[in-house]
Amino acid sequence: MVSMRRLVVRGSSTWMGIVVGLVLVAGLTAMLLPLRRHVDEAGFALVLLLPVVVSGVIGASRAAAVTGVVGAAVFSYVFDPPAGEFKVRGIDDILALVVFLTVAVTVGLLVAAESDRRRAAEQRALEVQALYLRNQELAEEAARAQLLERVDEHRAAIMRSVSHDLRTPLATIRAVASDLRAGAAHDERTRDNLLDSVCAEAERLDRIVANLLSMSRIEAGILQPSRQAVDLEELVADRVRRLGRLFEGRTVRVGLAPDLPLVHADYTLLDQLLTNLLENAARHAPVGTEVAITSDWCERGVHIRVVDHGLGVPDEEAEKIFEPFQRGAGSASSGVGLAICRAIAEAHGGSIHVETTPGGGATFVVDLPAVSADAADTGVEHAELDGTHSDGAAAKAARADSVAAVGADPDDAGVGDG
Amino acid sequence: MAERAMVEPSSTILVVDDEPGILQALEAGLSARGYDVVATESGAGALDAVRRIPDVVVLDLGLPDLDGVEICRRIRSWTDIPIIVLSADGSDDRKVAALDEGADDYITKPFSMPELLARVRVALRHRTQATPEPDAPVLQLGDLSVDLSLYRVRVGDREIDLTPKEFAFLALLVRNPGRVLTHRAILQQVWGPDYGTETQYLRVYASQLRKKLGDDPARPRLVTEPGVGYRLVDPDDEASHW
Repeated sequence: MVSMRRLVVRGSSTWMGIVVGLVLVAGLTAMLLPLRRHVDEAGFALVLLLPVVVSGVIGASRAAAVTGVVGAAVFSYVFDPPAGEFKVRGIDDILALVVFLTVAVTVGLLVAAESDRRRAAEQRALEVQALYLRNQELAEEAARAQLLERVDEHRAAIMRSVSHDLRTPLATIRAVASDLRAGAAHDERTRDNLLDSVCAEAERLDRIVANLLSMSRIEAGILQPSRQAVDLEELVADRVRRLGRLFEGRTVRVGLAPDLPLVHADYTLLDQLLTNLLENAARHAPVGTEVAITSDWCERGVHIRVVDHGLGVPDEEAEKIFEPFQRGAGSASSGVGLAICRAIAEAHGGSIHVETTPGGGATFVVDLPAVSADAADTGVEHAELDGTHSDGAAAKAARADSVAAVGADPDDAGVGDG
Repeated sequence: MAERAMVEPSSTILVVDDEPGILQALEAGLSARGYDVVATESGAGALDAVRRIPDVVVLDLGLPDLDGVEICRRIRSWTDIPIIVLSADGSDDRKVAALDEGADDYITKPFSMPELLARVRVALRHRTQATPEPDAPVLQLGDLSVDLSLYRVRVGDREIDLTPKEFAFLALLVRNPGRVLTHRAILQQVWGPDYGTETQYLRVYASQLRKKLGDDPARPRLVTEPGVGYRLVDPDDEASHW
């Protein structure tokens, strides 16, 4: 397509060059005729070079050559004395004619060559552009195909991960239930332990399902915190009590700043964030170590830390662990827990990252920003409304008066990268 | 209890799983039936404990420290202790890989305890019977009898006429009663070492065998293990259904 247009342009421009050259020769001759007596031959020759140059520019070498030959003939016929005939007298005239023709054709050719080069360059530029565009299209297609492939792989990985996660607690539940059903002769203590582990695994299953639901809400971009005033002390105490069994052989220390303000956040989501961090810590904390939950605050917001003394997270994985369905090497984790933590923190306008615990281990730090006075006021109202069930709530609400409640405007909160 | 009486005295089961819940359940369930249980949470622990020669190994394939298939390979390199693998994977590849590396049986999580106990009993029976004696070429599985030297097959009093390939297929299975054999293992031993992926042959032969043996579709002798292989059971043996 492109090269055909190029040929058409080329063919028609040769003719155009010749026509323009000849018209110019005729026009200039007509203009110069009256001046024939006052201008010498060299002057005419120079003027007649002009059409050759012009036709060379327009029509390239062939047009320049034609115009040059015609120009030489006209020069010889019209201006070279005796005028009106092709008569060559003596060596001077021959020389003049040859020089004119040579100069005309050379100039024409040079100009034409230059113009050719320019055209070729333009053409190349066009072709390069076309190639570039095509390349871009191909690259986009390839990227799309690759993306689809990655999505497929991702989906398969999710399915494997989910089925594994769901089956693991189910395995214990089914094994114990079927064992008891078959009338196994357990002593009372073993029987109690087995039933305890069935309850624990059922709760774990419930947490996994909650996480999966949150994950799907995150991926659909609809994780919207429904905010209320949250007393972190109450939330942490409740969650630690519920997860107590996970920390068998380890100690759990809760160290919250005594004047901690209420946070303006979604209780259920914050609870899920804390649950995931604690479950993660329980998975990685060796027997005999301590897991700590601490919290403090400044004008910019509240910081929650979950500290373990396990193997810690290598620097190169410090970001990766927050991506969905990434399991650490040899990890039996669900692969979505930390991704959900990040999405929840971000939905509240905050952030989460992992640091190395002094002496070894992982410290997860959640930063929840302070909110504006308006939002803090709303927080107080909620706290007063919701506070009837808790003795300390009124005092805390009063405290929240002087200190900003925490959690940003939902509108500028990212909902995670899902 | 009645179940306790069936257990051979002093059978030791090595149980390997990194999930505390399932480990506890297995330990309790097996102990309650009179087995001695050795439990460990890691592959390294398993390789260590297997040196004290348990009677059966129950091995989870998804251990954090060592690949379960690799553990099968290492155990099989020096002993033929029966290995039952536990798998929570949705995919069959890992089970098949473990079986090809010498595991004797598999159970997919979540499983029921009676199902696991039945598999353990089958594995223990293998352990005590070992390979058939060469001068006793007639193998019996319920009312099915296979005469390996005379190429004769009977179901009760009924003589069954089999083609040579059908006979070879059945003979392989009856030499490993109750044990799952992978598609690959069957193809290579019946058709030859160049085979391994032609599972469609097996489907055809399995279906012909079931018809000729008069299998009840609801309780077949020749059991399909989807995506994995086949096993031959005695449908009237209480150990083979659960």
